[in-house]
Formats: sequence, C-alpha cells, structure tokens
Amino acid sequence: MDAEQKKQHLLDFLQTIQRPDYPHEGIDEGSSLVESGLIDSLALLEIVMYLEQTHRIDFAERGIDPGDLRSVRSILDLIARESQT
Amino acid sequence: MFVDSKIGDLAELASGRNWTGAELSARLIARHSAYRDQGMERGDRVFVLYGNKLEFFVDLLALWYVGASVVPVDGRLTLFEIENLARAVTPRFALIDVTVPANIVTGLSAQGVTMLDTSSLDFIAPPRIETVAPQCAARLDDQALILFTSGTTGVPKGVVHTHRSLRARWLSLRQCLGVKSYERTLCLLPTHFGHGLICNSLFPWLCGQQLFIAPAFSTEMLLQLGRIVDQHRITFLSSVPSMWGLTLKGSKPPQGKSLRRIHCGSAPLSAHLWRQIRAWSGTREVFNAYGITETGSWVAGTTIGEFEPEDGLVGAPWGSAIKILKSAERNAPFESDCECKVDETGNVWLNTAALMQGYYGQAELTEQVISGGWFVTGDMGLIDRRGWFYLKGRERDEINKGGTKIYPADIDAVVERFEYTQAVCTFATADSLYGQNVAMAVVLPNQDAATIRQLHAWMKAHLADFKMPQRWYVVEALPQNSRGKISRSSVQELCARLKPIDLAGLLKRDSR
Repeated sequence: MDAEQKKQHLLDFLQTIQRPDYPHEGIDEGSSLVESGLIDSLALLEIVMYLEQTHRIDFAERGIDPGDLRSVRSILDLIARESQT
Repeated sequence: MFVDSKIGDLAELASGRNWTGAELSARLIARHSAYRDQGMERGDRVFVLYGNKLEFFVDLLALWYVGASVVPVDGRLTLFEIENLARAVTPRFALIDVTVPANIVTGLSAQGVTMLDTSSLDFIAPPRIETVAPQCAARLDDQALILFTSGTTGVPKGVVHTHRSLRARWLSLRQCLGVKSYERTLCLLPTHFGHGLICNSLFPWLCGQQLFIAPAFSTEMLLQLGRIVDQHRITFLSSVPSMWGLTLKGSKPPQGKSLRRIHCGSAPLSAHLWRQIRAWSGTREVFNAYGITETGSWVAGTTIGEFEPEDGLVGAPWGSAIKILKSAERNAPFESDCECKVDETGNVWLNTAALMQGYYGQAELTEQVISGGWFVTGDMGLIDRRGWFYLKGRERDEINKGGTKIYPADIDAVVERFEYTQAVCTFATADSLYGQNVAMAVVLPNQDAATIRQLHAWMKAHLADFKMPQRWYVVEALPQNSRGKISRSSVQELCARLKPIDLAGLLKRDSR
C-alpha cells in the first residue's frame, strides 16, 4: 500500500471501532482520538491489534508509546517509521 | 477513627506531588478549620465532585473530622443525573475544584447546595506542621459514606456506610490479608465507587501504608504499568479484568520484582486472564476478589493456599459468612433444608459486620435485601466440597461494562421520557473489550432519521457518555411476558437476530 492507501485503510478501520454515535464527518488527523470522543480509551487495544495484523508491527518487543496512538497523524507516522525498519 | 495509629503517605502519579503523613495532618487541620468556618456541622451531607487526587483524600478525612457524611460523585455524570442525586440526599455542601463544569455548579447552587471551591479556599501554603489535631466529631454509628449505585436518572440507590461498617471491613481485611503486601499500594480505580475507594485506597492508607494515586483507568498508565510498578516499587494494585487488555498488550512486564499481590474484581475473571496476570506480574498472589458496595466491597477472595485458576473461583470469605440458599426471598427461613447442597448452585447470601446501614431514604428497599442480618446479593454461586466459594452468575439487572455497573432501568427511565417513545428496553450485549456493553431496543411511531437524532440528543443531555447504548435497535414492538411486562431476556433474543441501526450514519450533520 502507498501512503494514501494506508491512510484510507486506517480511516476505514477507525470507522468500524468508533463510537456508534460519532457522526461520519471525517476524522481530524491531528485530534486526539480519545479526547475528541471518537473512541473509548480501551478501543486503543483494537488499534494495536489492527497495527499488528495489518502492518506487522511487533508491540511485544517495543512496547506501546501512548503518544504513537494519540491521533490519525501519529499512527500514520508510526506506520511509516516501522515500514522503514 | 483510623485503623492504625497513623495514616500512610500519599503520592499522585500524574503530577508527581507527594504528601507525607505529617503534611497530610497539617492540611487536614487547615481544611477542617476552613469547613467549620463555612458553617459545616456534624451530620451534614457533602458532595465531593472530584476524585483520584491528593486533595480528595485529605478532604475526605477533614469532612469526617467535622462529622459530615461524604458523598463521592462520579464526575462523568450529566447535570440532570447529579441534580437527581442531590434531590435524593439533599447535600448541604458540595466540594468543587477547577475541573467541575460550570453548569454543574450553577445547577447545584440553584438547589440550595453551598459550593465550596477547594482550589480557592484559604488553606495554608506551604503548610506549617501544625500543633493540635482537631477533635473528631464523628461517632461510630454516624453515616460516613454514601455511594450511589443505580438510579441516577430515577430513584437513586445510595448505599450508606457508617464509620462502624467501614472499620469492620478494614479490620477484617487486615486480619485476613495482613498489611505487608499493601506497603506501597497503587490505585488506578475511580474513587467514587466501593472497590477503588473503600478497599484499594482507604484500607491500606488508613493502615499506615503508602498510597499512590493515578487517574482512573488512565490509558497512559495502563500502557506503562510495568515501568510505573518498577519506578515506585509498587507492592500491590487492584484491578478490573478489562484493564488488563491494554496492559498485557502494551506494557512490558515489571522487572523489579516488587509486586507481592494483585487483586482483580468487579467483573468475572477468566482462568485464562488470571494466568496471564500471574505471568506478567511475576507473582502467583493474584486474587480474584469478590465484593459488593453494600458489604464494603471485598468480602471474599482466593486466599486458599496453592490453587489453579478456574473460571468463577472466589475461594474463602474475608470477614464474612457465605450461604447459598435456594431462595432469594427475604422471608426464606434459614433452616437447613433451605440451603443448597455442596456443589449445588443457588442464591448467594452474605453476613458481615461491614454490611451497609441501608439505602439512603429507602427503608422498604433495604428491608427487601436484608433478613436477620443476612444480605441477599443477587448473585448465583456454589460452595464445593473443599468449602471454596464459586461465583456462577448474576441475577441482578445490571450491565457490567468492564467493571463499571450500568443499570438498564436508568437508561430506560430517560428514554421513556422522550416524547415519541412508545416502549424501550435496555439490555446487555457481549463485548470483546469490556465483557458486556449497552444495547437498547426502542419502539418509535416514526423511525425516521430526524426522530432518532432527536432521541439521541435527548439521551446525551440526560445520560453520562459511558451509559449511551453501543447498539440501537428500532423495532415495531417489544416482547412481553404473560403479565404484560417487557422481558429483557426476550428482547435480547429478538435483537440477536436483527441488525442494529447505523447510528453514526444517521447523525451525519450534512444530511442529504
């Protein structure tokens, strides 16, 4: 997937786990996913699993930096960094 | 007042602040004096609208020294819910700080509650190490705590604990569990409910152990739990099962071998998760702790020597007696033929000196659940041939969302008041993260987007976010039993065959 495809894939995934009463209006890339109310904090676990399965990121070894999962932008940056290693 | 001759030190992980026992005493004296100057008296009920911070704990003690009854309030509740609670228990004062929304302050003031902004009260800073501790005005049988369980939107159920029942809980835990393992206790749970407040926090702290406070269910803390345990040499923490998903996935295990004990409670603990927690923490002392707000929280747990984790295993009573009876009716005689046999599942009854005084202002409701000193829990369980207690299910009408109890009736009560609702039934749905989540089936004369958006807005205005249904089913009718009553289990079965509505799609602001 190129960068644009990865972004759309992530956005499509987020729509499957977001709160059911959060309108489909487009997700601001820089906003906190939890603080904006898009997802419950525990739903970060589903993002972790998505990143493991879709982008083969191994969190068992590196641990999770909460900042990496904060927003769409930070998740995409994480994906980009991991794809280079 | 206290369980030991001194209280422990307090530390707040989010800010890095620490208060020693001596500093706490000085602040206690200052706050006590300030509250008395504001006219607070023994017997007053006081809302505390913040939690999980140093100030909450010293305020709790100061209020007890005044002789007041403390009512911790969940900060996530809406104004509608908080006003409802205030009408039920008529607090004279409310402690607020900068985190409390202005509409809550205005709403409670309008009800005649005196607001005390503790961030601006004239407390000494920096604290002098003051001389004389105040005389404690509280008596053993005074109301100490009122903890709300259900009814935030209807008739609130406020569990009243006296100083006597709380002290009974702490003393029995000290006797059954000792205090050594709790030397450096971490609390990640909310301080407005029994598990986090009475047992995870106050038990060790009032027994002279050090308490580390974290924001409730903080994702950041859970993802770094191993590092936090090592950094602060944490010996004990309590938890709910849903917390461990993030921690096991994202936090490296602690390396310092400081953890001596972990409790897990408020929701079913599977044998699989139990083993995972043991492996992650490096200690085999991971106890499934069973507790209910009405009994001062922890009332039984797996202090049964060496054992293998099993689904439902709880183990031994802690300062209580447990009976499994065939009936849940309060007039069930306590004779031997009413008791279930070994390995037979029945209704769980508890007898403990830590039993609540009752539900605030609800003598009839209290009488329905207490008979001859025995409390009927609403849980199903059994006792095996070894005398070990197993939890087998719940008859109570509640949804257990990751340890947070949500009462379907509270949501129904709000939806029923919406002008277009013909019928509603809230029920539990399975959830991979939380165990259970909230679903709702509603009958509306018009099933168009505009009506559903209106209902959604109505619910948002009246219900805390965490109670909003995850799945909505808009149906033609709800199944009823032979007495004409809506059957929640039948509604659950009906909706299992249906698809929930696309609520997010319906809420599109630029509707086409």
